[in-house]
Amino acid sequence: MLDETATATGAITLTRVAKVFGAFTAVENIDLTIRGNEFFTLLGPSGCGKTTILRMLAGFETPTRGEIFLDGTEIARLGPNRRPVNTVFQSYALFPHLTVAQNIGFALKMLGKPRAEIAGTVDRMLDLVQLQGRGDQLVTRLSGGQQQRVALARALAPRPRVLLLDEPLSALDQKLRKTMQIELKRMQRETGITFVFVTHDQEEALTMSDRIAVLSNGALQQVGTPHEIYNHPASRFVADFIGETNLLTGKVLRHDGDSVCVALPGGAQIKARSRHVLPAGAEVTLAVRPENCALAGPEAPLQGRVREVVYFGTDTHFHLDLATGTPLVVRRQNAAGAGPAPQEGDTVGVTLAPGGTSVLRD
Amino acid sequence: MAQSLPELESALRRADIRRRWWLSLPAMLVVLAAGIGPLLIVVVYSFLESGPYGDVVWKFSTEGWFNVLLSRDIFDDTVSLADAHLAILWRSVRLSAITTLLCLVVGFPTAWYMASRGPKARGLLLLLITVPFWTNLLIRTFAIQQLLRAEGLVNVVLMKLGLVSAPLQLLYTDFAILVGMTYVYLPLMVLPLYSTMEKFDFRLMEAAYDLYASRRRALTGVLIPLVKPGVIAGCTLVFIPCLGTYVIPRVLGGGTNLMIGNLIELQFGAGRNWPLGAALSIALVALVLVGLVIFQRNDRSGGDHA
Repeated sequence: MLDETATATGAITLTRVAKVFGAFTAVENIDLTIRGNEFFTLLGPSGCGKTTILRMLAGFETPTRGEIFLDGTEIARLGPNRRPVNTVFQSYALFPHLTVAQNIGFALKMLGKPRAEIAGTVDRMLDLVQLQGRGDQLVTRLSGGQQQRVALARALAPRPRVLLLDEPLSALDQKLRKTMQIELKRMQRETGITFVFVTHDQEEALTMSDRIAVLSNGALQQVGTPHEIYNHPASRFVADFIGETNLLTGKVLRHDGDSVCVALPGGAQIKARSRHVLPAGAEVTLAVRPENCALAGPEAPLQGRVREVVYFGTDTHFHLDLATGTPLVVRRQNAAGAGPAPQEGDTVGVTLAPGGTSVLRD
Repeated sequence: MAQSLPELESALRRADIRRRWWLSLPAMLVVLAAGIGPLLIVVVYSFLESGPYGDVVWKFSTEGWFNVLLSRDIFDDTVSLADAHLAILWRSVRLSAITTLLCLVVGFPTAWYMASRGPKARGLLLLLITVPFWTNLLIRTFAIQQLLRAEGLVNVVLMKLGLVSAPLQLLYTDFAILVGMTYVYLPLMVLPLYSTMEKFDFRLMEAAYDLYASRRRALTGVLIPLVKPGVIAGCTLVFIPCLGTYVIPRVLGGGTNLMIGNLIELQFGAGRNWPLGAALSIALVALVLVGLVIFQRNDRSGGDHA
């Protein structure tokens, strides 16, 4: 069943999709393309519209406006039982009156597949999710992690073109979640099915996804690879939501290719990446990750006072107050030979890694 | 003197069992006094002889039980089946079964509708379902009689609409009894159905649709098996009181369409045959028990089924 002949199928295009519940706009005018065979994540805080998008892809909700295409076919108004898309529910929604095997074989039975074929597929699915020999158990007897695997196998069994996952790992403990993240990624690669994964956990999104869409208040904030999203956040929201970020304000001095030179209050000049051409004199906000800041000597352009030193084992965070009063966090790895650490109250210099600083669109 | 651990354990267990008996004693006494006691009296009466003036003679006799299903010809003592009793028995079972089915057909969508509303609307709907209980059963039954009689609302409307030229004979038919019983016992079907459906996880229906089930397959494959305990409880609560119902066939069946309840009343009243009445009562209890066993069997097979 898991034939890897795969010309990539399972490509989804949303064009100007909106969903309005009464007076509440859950999703507004989203244009989004999800490629075939992609591990795509919808990331955002609760209420950002990510689950609504997933439910529209599944067919549980119909968009108020706009179209959804699956491999070129418009599916927005097809019922959930008439599109080759299956869902792994947050609560798993396993049928409590059926065994593991009957749960996994449910879709195939509904599709009218012959008994022998169903049995064969169920066995392969049990192998895939490593639940060999558990087929005859009632699902209510399984642990949370095992139920999760059954839910996954049940949704994969009919071999959908797209698998939708609605925060499936949120009920698992930390350790199991880490294992399942790797497992999910492996299954996605093995099956070649497009996975659309919904989560509010940025770390989960960064580790598993080929691409991520960050959402806020029903609107897309940024779509890109984990690397792009993390290192070059497009907006203040993305910079703030994902990881820790230092924000600095300054004025554009000049534009230079895909970067700009920004003057910070206090006179320091910094090069930053910018997607847009900005006029000289424009006020901008810069984002720079703590690991892209480094402690330096008194010759460095930025100077600050150490307010707090926090030791994390693998690295240490230095919370500084710059001369202008702006707070800044510097992360330093605790490798052997890292040199003596500054103490609270010391004055230190800071350099920002070239290419590690982005101009935000507010 | 030291007791071994197993001995100590079993001694403790015995003490525990003794304590439980004492604690359950008041409940047992109530069951004995209010349930088993009266029933035993009825059993005793069913084995007595009925006197010539409708009194009860303290002499052992199986005549009462004999007369439940059989009758002896008063002239030549030939024994034949008691056709009248059998007809009434059959009507009781048949009308009760049809009523149960009608209640299920009407009650299932009603309960589903209620369970799928918001919490506020649910409370209101639940209240509305119980409103009929505020009125006496007799009054409600007479109200149905008013609706169904020749000059009643139903016939008037039918004639105004030109659907019938003369009033239909609705009252004093099995139909009238069915209407009455369905109306009266419907809440007893809706309430247990609602309570299981309320606990039902509606996402399971979404999961079924998502896995290519049609509406019908989702209903028969997921919803019905999972709310089966409610269906069985509802059917039990409707079928069993229907079997013994007395007022409804009396008022709406017009004294000609009898059910077991009326037959029993007849023996204790006008018929003056208490032993037969007692035997019929016990026969009804037996019938109810058979019904319960059948329903419970179904429930159990639903539980193991997998």
